[in-house]
Amino acid sequence: MGSPAPIKDPTMPAPVLGPGQTYTTVTQRLSAIITSRTPLGWIAALLIAGGILQLLMLSATWLLIKGTGIWGLNIPVGWGWAIINFVWWIGIGHAGTLISAILLLMRQQWRNSINRFAEAMTIFAVMCAGMFPLLHTGRPWVAAYWLLPYPNTMSVWPQFRSPLIWDVFAVGTYFTVSLIFWYLGLIPDFATLRDKAKHKISQIIYGVLSMGWRGSAKHWFNYEMAALLLAGVSTPLVLSVHSIVSLDFSVGLIPGWHATIFPPYFVAGAVYAGFAMVLTLGLPIRYFYGLHDYITDRHLNNMGKVMLATGLIVAYGYLMEQFFAWYSASPYEGYMMQNRTFGPYSGTYWSLILCNVAIPQLLWIKRVRLSPIWLFIISMFINVGMWLERFIIVVTSLHRDFMPSSWDMYHSTPWDWGLYAGTIGFFLFMMILFIRVMPVINIFEIRQLVANKNRGEHAETASADD
Amino acid sequence: MATKSFDHPFVDKVQQRGLLAGACGVVILFILAFADSQQFFQSYLVSYIYWLVISLGCLGLLMLHHLVSGRWGFVIRRLLESGARTLWLMAVLFIPIALLGMYHLYEWTHTDVVAKDPILTFKKPYLNETGFYIRAVVYFALWLLWMFLLTKWSREQDETGEPGLKSRMINLSGPGIPMFILTVTFAATDWVMSLEPHWFSTIYGLIFVIGGALGAMALCILWVIKLKDVEIYREVDAFKYLSDLGTLMFAFTCLWAYVSFSQFLIIWSGNLAEEAPWYIRRSHGGWQYVGIALIIFHFFLPFFLLLQRAIKRRAALMTVIAIFMLIMRYVDLYYFITPAFGHGGASGLYRYVADVLTFVSIGGLWLGFFAMQLKGVPLMPLHDPRMAETFAGEGH
Repeated sequence: MGSPAPIKDPTMPAPVLGPGQTYTTVTQRLSAIITSRTPLGWIAALLIAGGILQLLMLSATWLLIKGTGIWGLNIPVGWGWAIINFVWWIGIGHAGTLISAILLLMRQQWRNSINRFAEAMTIFAVMCAGMFPLLHTGRPWVAAYWLLPYPNTMSVWPQFRSPLIWDVFAVGTYFTVSLIFWYLGLIPDFATLRDKAKHKISQIIYGVLSMGWRGSAKHWFNYEMAALLLAGVSTPLVLSVHSIVSLDFSVGLIPGWHATIFPPYFVAGAVYAGFAMVLTLGLPIRYFYGLHDYITDRHLNNMGKVMLATGLIVAYGYLMEQFFAWYSASPYEGYMMQNRTFGPYSGTYWSLILCNVAIPQLLWIKRVRLSPIWLFIISMFINVGMWLERFIIVVTSLHRDFMPSSWDMYHSTPWDWGLYAGTIGFFLFMMILFIRVMPVINIFEIRQLVANKNRGEHAETASADD
Repeated sequence: MATKSFDHPFVDKVQQRGLLAGACGVVILFILAFADSQQFFQSYLVSYIYWLVISLGCLGLLMLHHLVSGRWGFVIRRLLESGARTLWLMAVLFIPIALLGMYHLYEWTHTDVVAKDPILTFKKPYLNETGFYIRAVVYFALWLLWMFLLTKWSREQDETGEPGLKSRMINLSGPGIPMFILTVTFAATDWVMSLEPHWFSTIYGLIFVIGGALGAMALCILWVIKLKDVEIYREVDAFKYLSDLGTLMFAFTCLWAYVSFSQFLIIWSGNLAEEAPWYIRRSHGGWQYVGIALIIFHFFLPFFLLLQRAIKRRAALMTVIAIFMLIMRYVDLYYFITPAFGHGGASGLYRYVADVLTFVSIGGLWLGFFAMQLKGVPLMPLHDPRMAETFAGEGH
């Protein structure tokens, strides 16, 4: 088309790739993270994370010896940190699928350099999440016997009307699909590493993992097809998993749980938490490995915008809960909200508002969205805020329900802390291992960006963007 | 390249016939309103909310477009702007409800009912006439302000090509989205949810936001197909983006099903006396068939059709699907609103006459107004700096 005189556009976004990148520099730079000598800093980080991981071992062992009585659970608060941590981890596991599936379908090129570690993060986060309900059963080695429906001589089936059993399927499906998606994307990069590896053993390991990938046109055709199909399959999963988690609460009758806004509000919260964790991990990785050419200002800006948008949806959820608790004219709803806002846990509630609603408003400012330090600080607040949100939902709703004679306070024990910190150790340990043995940024997709650039297509502006 | 406004016989036709139908309709409605004002306002509210939600959907999508700058947005921006500009008309058409209709429609306007009902007495700080008026003024003021500035700057951009206008529109749309979602939520609470003043649901506002986006998208698809021979559309090959627009309509259809089903599942499983009556009213006396029809035709059928890329590229099929979705939007709102009146309205023929007449007259005015807005301007934002880049490298 005959375009009008070119106009300098002040709103033009930064490029998705730093200047001066070629196929060779991309491959060298990104595979060097793995093929170079082990940095001392990496060993130190692994040891620290491994140390925290021991807390998980210790807390889980003691739990299995003594039972869940070592936790702070009581009646009425029969669901404590186990469910809070489960929901927190599952939420964190949402950025991976969103970035790899929905952004792929929306042809968003900026996803290319953050999808790999976001997917890895998803898988490790879902593992952490899964530990809590399994450990809460007290005997995880027979948990499958209780959780999965199978024909048995006693004709005992799980309650299919319960969202808890839907959770088993939803989380199971989510984990499986995320794992396959992640592995599929790794195959061409494993082939690159196989070709780059100098040591015989790593050649064999990467060779087996790359499943005979030679990079022929047919291979690529099949790869693209499979990626597209998996993206299509994963997209509803982004909505379904956390919607079903939200139903764990909202199909119940407890005031503060039984709200129709829960499914979309939980999903937005999950994406919010997920992006915060991507930044919490991505910013240090970018800094220590000098990946500024691959994770550019554009990525920071866009992730900041996604957090702002999802954070506002979460804030909308809080507001609707407040307004309709009053508008419902139900004394139980009204008391629950008053107790939540001004009762014994009001400090937690207002900290949640501070972390999840007030501080993230800084993301309206572009300078903040472009500053790694600010983004890191805000993402830490969101990580804490999202944990507090689940605490507020679980504990303040349960501890004072319909009957004042059964009211009680909830106090966590060191074993609650130990298990929770232990899973954080596990998560970090796995992430640090992952950085060292698998390409943390998708090598071939970055090469594709180089190719687009060489072809003169303005890859970054051609698609539906930001 | 064409830089001026365009002429298309279809737009003229819609303008003339729409305004004519609207004018005739208004005269007949005036008579009907005196014959049975109760039924008149019940029908009027359904039709009014239907067209208002589409206007609002246009405003919402317009702000979304400014924030994400996708190609689809440039193709339909003028349509969205014209749709949003009908908010002037909708503000005027709200007057009959505000002056007279509310006493026929909303139980909580009757002081004797409120005095006898402890729940309504409790809600009086919110559900009262003064509050209703003040809030309505605030909603319309905010919608009109955002609409006015966004369309004004867009027209200035057409004339001058001033690059700063783009950032201004983006900066206004950012806070515009939270403003929009909040005002639509509370407007839906005031004007529709409070028809059954005991009932409440926290997801209700989102159902209206998403329903509006769906209706607006279906309308835009129809216009893109109808105007595909206009010079600018041919230059950028606007028809190529039909499948993108279809995908968005698909996404909004899925989201509509998601929020509607969430509300149903949670209320059904809770089975509480405060909430369940809303669905009980809608699952008896013939309404259950409407509900089932919504599940099948507002979700499953368009879901499976729009999943297929081949269908999304065919103008004839997309026309049918888009018209069908616009009809289902009406059925959905009818199902939301009408059961609330119980047996309070007229029965039989008169009721259907009132339904059809209000729909045609408000719709006629809406479309006539829409066509009038569309005519004065080029069909695409030619001087938008992002558009040139967006469509560059497409020369084949």
